[in-house]
Amino acid sequence: MFKTGTETNKIIEVFPVQGRTNDDKACLKGWYGWDFLNDPQILTRRIREPMIRKNGKGSPLEVVSWDEAIKFVADNLLKIKETWGLDSIIGAASARGPGNEPNYLTQKFMRACVGTNNIDHCARICHATSVAGSRQTIGEGAMSLSIPEIEDAEVIFNIGYNAAASHPVVARRIVQAKEKGAFIICADPRVTETSRIAAIHLQLKGGTNLALANAMANVIITEGLEDKEFIKAHTKDFEAYKEIVLDYPPEKVAAIADLDPEAIRKAARKYAGSKHSVILWGMGVTQFSQGVDVVKSLCSLAMLTGNFGRPSTGAGPVRGQNNVQGTCEMGVLPDVFPGYQSVTDPKIREKFAKAWGVNSLPAEVGLQLTRVPEKVVHEKDLAKRIHAYYIFGEDPAQSDPDLAELRESLAQIDFVVCQEIFMNKTTQYADAILPATSWGEHEGVYTSSDRGFQRIRKVIEPEGNLKDDWEIISLVSTAMGYPMSYRNTEEIWTEMIDLCPKFTGATYEKIERQGSVQWPCFNKGPADKGSMYLHKDGYFATPDGIGIFKTAHYHSPIEVENKDYPLTLGTVREVGHYSARTMTGNCRTLRNLEDEPGWVEMAPEDCAALGVSDGELVKVSSKRGQVISRCKKTERVKKGAIYMTYQWWIGACNELTISTLDPVSRTPEYKYCAAKVERIPNQARAWKEVANSYLAIKEKMGIDQKAVSQ
Amino acid sequence: MNYFVKANPSRCIGCRTCLISCVVAHEGKRIFEIDPDGYNFNPRLFMVMTAKVSAPIHCRHCETPACKASCATGAISLRGNVVAVDTNKCIGCKNCLLACPFEAIEIVETGEILPDGSPRRVALKCDLCSGVADSPSCVKVCLTDTLELVTEENLQDSLTRKREDSVTALASLG
Repeated sequence: MFKTGTETNKIIEVFPVQGRTNDDKACLKGWYGWDFLNDPQILTRRIREPMIRKNGKGSPLEVVSWDEAIKFVADNLLKIKETWGLDSIIGAASARGPGNEPNYLTQKFMRACVGTNNIDHCARICHATSVAGSRQTIGEGAMSLSIPEIEDAEVIFNIGYNAAASHPVVARRIVQAKEKGAFIICADPRVTETSRIAAIHLQLKGGTNLALANAMANVIITEGLEDKEFIKAHTKDFEAYKEIVLDYPPEKVAAIADLDPEAIRKAARKYAGSKHSVILWGMGVTQFSQGVDVVKSLCSLAMLTGNFGRPSTGAGPVRGQNNVQGTCEMGVLPDVFPGYQSVTDPKIREKFAKAWGVNSLPAEVGLQLTRVPEKVVHEKDLAKRIHAYYIFGEDPAQSDPDLAELRESLAQIDFVVCQEIFMNKTTQYADAILPATSWGEHEGVYTSSDRGFQRIRKVIEPEGNLKDDWEIISLVSTAMGYPMSYRNTEEIWTEMIDLCPKFTGATYEKIERQGSVQWPCFNKGPADKGSMYLHKDGYFATPDGIGIFKTAHYHSPIEVENKDYPLTLGTVREVGHYSARTMTGNCRTLRNLEDEPGWVEMAPEDCAALGVSDGELVKVSSKRGQVISRCKKTERVKKGAIYMTYQWWIGACNELTISTLDPVSRTPEYKYCAAKVERIPNQARAWKEVANSYLAIKEKMGIDQKAVSQ
Repeated sequence: MNYFVKANPSRCIGCRTCLISCVVAHEGKRIFEIDPDGYNFNPRLFMVMTAKVSAPIHCRHCETPACKASCATGAISLRGNVVAVDTNKCIGCKNCLLACPFEAIEIVETGEILPDGSPRRVALKCDLCSGVADSPSCVKVCLTDTLELVTEENLQDSLTRKREDSVTALASLG
């Protein structure tokens, strides 16, 4: 895909390749999202040397040798482990550049070396909800169908998913499906590219997904449209489910969700009317305090209509980051080993303990990363606190909700390690920084959202004193008394697949030969090519193969609009920027397309009421904080609701979001909190403030302003 | 006949890859190497997103260009199948802007500084990548095949097909 200059060691041209999901095409991040590798120092700078705060917190970061940095990290972690116990340490691994192998090693390190299940990653703040909800109903927390199959769906029920902004490559499949005649139902409080081409746009009030999903089931059951044979042969607990959904007639839900009851009926009939109905969902479902219930209800809706087990049907939680599917699969979750094997199952623990050469492994489910503030600033008992946070390729000080609370937590944690490629908001709190190679500078395997393992390759040589992530983890682990020694990523991969029956057949050789292998793939022989879709012929991935109907009663979001904060704030995505923006914010043209301080989308009525116009700087606030952003006046949002994207550092909407969590998945309610917008009379001064803030950020990130301007 | 790039709004996802490709084509790949602030980001097409529509707007390269007729300095001319602006002759008078029925022209800073210290501004619009690429770059990068270069030949093909379809449809009505 990349042509590199061998002399300059730089990427010079991009060619999209024929891949299973991208089909010879690339999105804007594929075409133009790579020049961060050359370290242009637009937003922040690459880390080239290991650094530690030798003289404790508050002292400056000093460049040291790898030996000294590894010893410093190992000594501090060992000291904390001895003083405060195994569970006083938590690790967060990375769904971004590193790939599956270093993630496998990170959870192995936390479990076998540190001795805790406190290992998690950013799925917690996005699709952990889908993993939890799907596993409870259909047994597997992944897209049941493949991305290419979307094209041949007859009905697409797209709920809380903006493919055009999140995954343009998937948006293309939705456009193709439409052209092939698919009937698209789009449930989204905003007008999106999908709603634009949808036959029915259910422009529901934010936070009412569960009421809608239950109402659709209500229509299907009361009109006798359910697949009775499928329900009988492949599912259980239908009666309990029916009892709940009967409480949600379309008229009642229309009032809750601000919809037309007839539109709900029509959508339900259409959805139930095909055996090639597909549900696609994203963060608009998962980032609510009732997210897991919605996922269960959506999986149940698909079971209700017999929409599982054939091509172009099923349930599709379309995952956020490039390797968030893989990071879940590698067991970077507090409740499962690699391959979704439970830590509470003694037989599984024994298997892993034997393979990893330890006497035992921790049996208790670990701590989710969204609970770090609860276990630091809100925990009075020092013995119960988190004392060390090993953060590998994440930027919680930008991506987690209620940033003030998060910053306070990072400041109070005794020892913070960042294994990173860029200086970011979190490295400000690091006691040790370990510089890693980036995507493009190392080998490995990523897993696409539709369970597809695919190889990633080194295209340029890393510059500076960097190491591969798997090497860094191995060194730290070895220094802490649990030796790890691998020659390359393939050795790590082979160890992993041999411990995970569903992945065993996906050897490097097979991935290479096929281009991609979708799990489950049980056998290493060439005959087992992997699985395009799950739950074949209705046999679910639950222990007994039976799907379990589940839903719940609807409740409104936790913090609703009120007199002081009359608007609702939801966080959404910007197509050209990725995650916390250290990578794409350092790509020249993506930065040209959208830059600080970002936008706050507002309905024309709300703009008029406040007297603000498009492009004007405004103050946005909630109970937790305030930021400056630019007003984007758009008919695409409903009156009373505002939306911001989360990657801006000045217009950082997570200063405002609430840290309320789903009780099961512990995913934050990013999509709903009460907020207000205020006009800024002196625009010139506000713009100057924005410019100064940007300069201050760059300085904090270690950019040499003089060197850059020359 | 002059060529033009046509957008199909039912395929467009508003991603604006086309805007970047336009700048990269005209500024050259050097922009990925130089000072990040050392070039101007001036796409020659414009993304329109309303509640109903998403699509980029390009110059239509009209057969009787109103911009050309309105140009005070003779900077706009026909070059091959393209209505082109000679930026050396352009004085930034904005007549073309007002004359264009599609709002497909914009006045932008060239990056040059005039003797009085002010930035030089000229008219900029789609040139179908003539002289900078073999075919329009926006068409090449478009993920959803929203964009298509319309030439005399493929326009004729499409018209013939549409006429045949209409006749077939009429025939089926009996």
